[in-house]
Amino acid sequence: MAMKYIRRRLVHAALLLIAISILSFALLQLAPGDYFDAMRMNPQISAQTIDGLRTEYGLDRPLAVRYEHWLVSVLRGELGFSIAYNSPVGPLIWGRARNTLLLTSGATVLAWLLAIPVGTWSAKKRGTWADRACGVVTSTFLTIPDLLLYLCLLLLAVRTGWFPAGGMISPGASSLGFWSKAKDVALHLFLPCAGLALTITPMLVRHIRSSLIDVLESPFIRAARAHGISGTRVLFRYAWPVAANPLISLLGFSIGTMLSASVLVEVILSWPGLGPLLVEAIFARDVYVVIGVVMLSSVFLVAGNLFADLLHFANDPRIRVD
Amino acid sequence: MRRRLKLRGAIILLAGFQSLILLAGFFAPYNSTAQDRLSPFAPPTRVHFFDAKGKFHARPFVYGLKNNPVDFGAYGIDFTRVYPIRFLAAGAPYKIAGIFPARIHLLGVEEPGRLFLLGSDGYGRDQLSRFLYGGQISLRAGLIAAALSVSLGIVMGGLAGFYGGWLDNALMRGAELFLALPWLYLLFAVRAALPLHITQSQVFLLLVAVMGLLGWARPARLIRGVVLSAKERNFVLAARGFGASDRYLLFRHVLPQTSGVVLTQIALLIPQFVLAEVTLTFLGLGVGEPLASWGSLLSSLQQYSVLSSYWWMFLPALLLVPLFLGYYLAADALQERFKSVSL
Amino acid sequence: MIARSHQPLLRVEHLGMNHVQRHAVTNAKVIVQAFADVNLTICPGTTVALVGESGAGKSSLARCLALLEKPAQGEIWFDGMNFLALDRRALFPLRRQIQMIFQDPTSALNPRLTAGEIIAEPLLIQGQGTKAQRREQALDLMEQVGLPRKCEGKTALEFSGGQRQRLAIARALILEPKLLILDEALSSLDIANQEMILKLLTDIQAAHSLTYLHISHDLRLVSRFAEVVAVMHGGKIVEQGRAANLFAEPQHPYTQELLAAMPSLESICQERFA
Repeated sequence: MAMKYIRRRLVHAALLLIAISILSFALLQLAPGDYFDAMRMNPQISAQTIDGLRTEYGLDRPLAVRYEHWLVSVLRGELGFSIAYNSPVGPLIWGRARNTLLLTSGATVLAWLLAIPVGTWSAKKRGTWADRACGVVTSTFLTIPDLLLYLCLLLLAVRTGWFPAGGMISPGASSLGFWSKAKDVALHLFLPCAGLALTITPMLVRHIRSSLIDVLESPFIRAARAHGISGTRVLFRYAWPVAANPLISLLGFSIGTMLSASVLVEVILSWPGLGPLLVEAIFARDVYVVIGVVMLSSVFLVAGNLFADLLHFANDPRIRVD
Repeated sequence: MRRRLKLRGAIILLAGFQSLILLAGFFAPYNSTAQDRLSPFAPPTRVHFFDAKGKFHARPFVYGLKNNPVDFGAYGIDFTRVYPIRFLAAGAPYKIAGIFPARIHLLGVEEPGRLFLLGSDGYGRDQLSRFLYGGQISLRAGLIAAALSVSLGIVMGGLAGFYGGWLDNALMRGAELFLALPWLYLLFAVRAALPLHITQSQVFLLLVAVMGLLGWARPARLIRGVVLSAKERNFVLAARGFGASDRYLLFRHVLPQTSGVVLTQIALLIPQFVLAEVTLTFLGLGVGEPLASWGSLLSSLQQYSVLSSYWWMFLPALLLVPLFLGYYLAADALQERFKSVSL
Repeated sequence: MIARSHQPLLRVEHLGMNHVQRHAVTNAKVIVQAFADVNLTICPGTTVALVGESGAGKSSLARCLALLEKPAQGEIWFDGMNFLALDRRALFPLRRQIQMIFQDPTSALNPRLTAGEIIAEPLLIQGQGTKAQRREQALDLMEQVGLPRKCEGKTALEFSGGQRQRLAIARALILEPKLLILDEALSSLDIANQEMILKLLTDIQAAHSLTYLHISHDLRLVSRFAEVVAVMHGGKIVEQGRAANLFAEPQHPYTQELLAAMPSLESICQERFA
């Protein structure tokens, strides 16, 4: 029965991704204007040249044909062709995606590592002034728009010089040994990672706290306490497994947004990830890059949800073992 | 009790903020486009009650600025002339609600004095005025998009939950599709796909429409949940026993039960969409000149020189915090309120 | 005693209904039979009780009879008309003749409406009378069920359990039905309230020429007012007849079990304290 469920969910996910690809493709291609619009403005380039270029890049074929070509290209791992960079989209995106993942996975891990103890402690001490103070701090961070936060971090970097103000490695660092390079990257990574983590953590803390409180106030916990089981044991062996259920969805969401959550921080702190690539491609109307980025982040979103679904399924006591 | 205070406080804060923005023409000393090329990046104008000679003026006043001959770009204060602040002064013409022409502003100073309460930007434009006018763009975008999303959510979620069956299946599959879209990215992409030669107000409308259309899925799911449980309630069954039609049941009994979810979703979606518009414009992908949006006010901060030298350019971002705080508190209070009123 | 006509008010033949449920996790369909081959006859002016344990299908049957759910097979004849053969529009004016009182009065009343609105709602739905007339009728009925007129503006939340059940009864009566189905209507009340509601029901039965169908699992309660009793077990009616006969000489083994499991206060005390 478990295998049937898993298979069904996988098929479902695949269908969903195909639907998303069709939707984004149609949306972008139907819009007027293409890469060569800017060139058209230039009176020195003749219309014939532009038409020739368009044919060369296949921009004059009907939509369905272009979609088919693009699908084939996806299967080959190329994901279409970028006119601006003059290379297949695939390798372009992988490199940037790697940088983005480095940033977001670091931030996500940091956020969860911070949120779980803070949320748990806050739930345990609910109602006390310490908990309320904590609540005020999380609320404050929640209401600060992330734009402001990143700008402040940038200001910090520029004014104090403790951290580099952007980029991933210092110029000339690529010739250093592994550890020095790693240290350099880590130094560059610190600010964007911390900023992103600060935007994720408050919401996590609130959810963890409220989920735990819901569980801690339920009758079966009170029964456990009445039996004399110690507070800590109750918290970890009894409360957490039940509270973990709604948090699995959160985890799925965290994983799902790993490619899309970092756009702003990447642009402001000049981290060479998918965000700046997307923005450039949008300005240049480099369609296949845009679609590639959108599809890749959709894959992550769908995968994150699938992961959460499967975890829920595995965690569900209503499933009888085959 | 405390909860009611919280909600009331939040609503007062929001109402105050938004009426300031609504009547931007009156509250702003200048128009959003009025440039003063002679005073770029002027620091916030200091308001004084005592002049250089120590004399007290009952009416607050400001001094003029003059270029500092030694440090190019910094300003010195011209103590020779006093510009009293005038209340309900006549200033640049504007239109209330876009229809009624008027000229009265809350504050003003006589030319060539300048009242830059929040400083000025690179073109010498008053940041306070631009903040208020920018609110008209950014806030309105958020409000309309949120209203659109929630309305769509009510229709879809209501129908799916009430009728069930294949309609429910189809709508929920659709919702899943929309939830799996990286909406911010898609928003970027749609913006990019727009032709170059449309007006900024058309860009605005399109952006708002896309945000609203992309965002219906989560409210729809939540509303569907409420409708599903509400339609099984015995009072709905009883009304059926009296011969009530589906339409009557929906409007009289079922949909009113969703008011809690609807209000909370609105309170959560508005800041989300406002921030989306601000982010887009900040990156240069949103509404551009001549319409001032909060994003365009902040976009100059991407340059290091502006960032480190002109601290007052941060102020619009700081002023956003109480706005978001208001919505956030409202959403919080609403969530608590409707959690405890479930029978 | 009111005069009984020979024509039965409600006649049910071979009624059956299934529930379609979905497995909690895999979403597969599971068909569960609620009840099958039910035959029941109710004469006007009588008080009929339908008893059985929980899960025997009583509530499902009640809902079918109240036309709130559609049975899979069988016929329902009411006052000589085949109700299941009618379409929605034809059924609309006839719905007023059968009304139902639910077990939980709290969930049966919309918490956002006032008492006056709740009671007048059936008239609103059936499109009867002006707003003022509806209000008058509602207030009138409030008095009849023992609720003070000034409570008209209170919301349902402000009443106690017993009072809410009175509200529900008033609402059911406003359309002047002929048959009132009470689905475990007394089960959620304490003994004192049960007594009061029972008395109310008895009082209004004559005044409004009502026929009652009580659904209950409490045989002791039923024994106090039922004239005819039908026993339901496993989705089927295993025995029905006049109360006196049934209690004195139960035929079906299940009925015998039910009666045996119902000790009187005397026998309890004798067992324990003698």
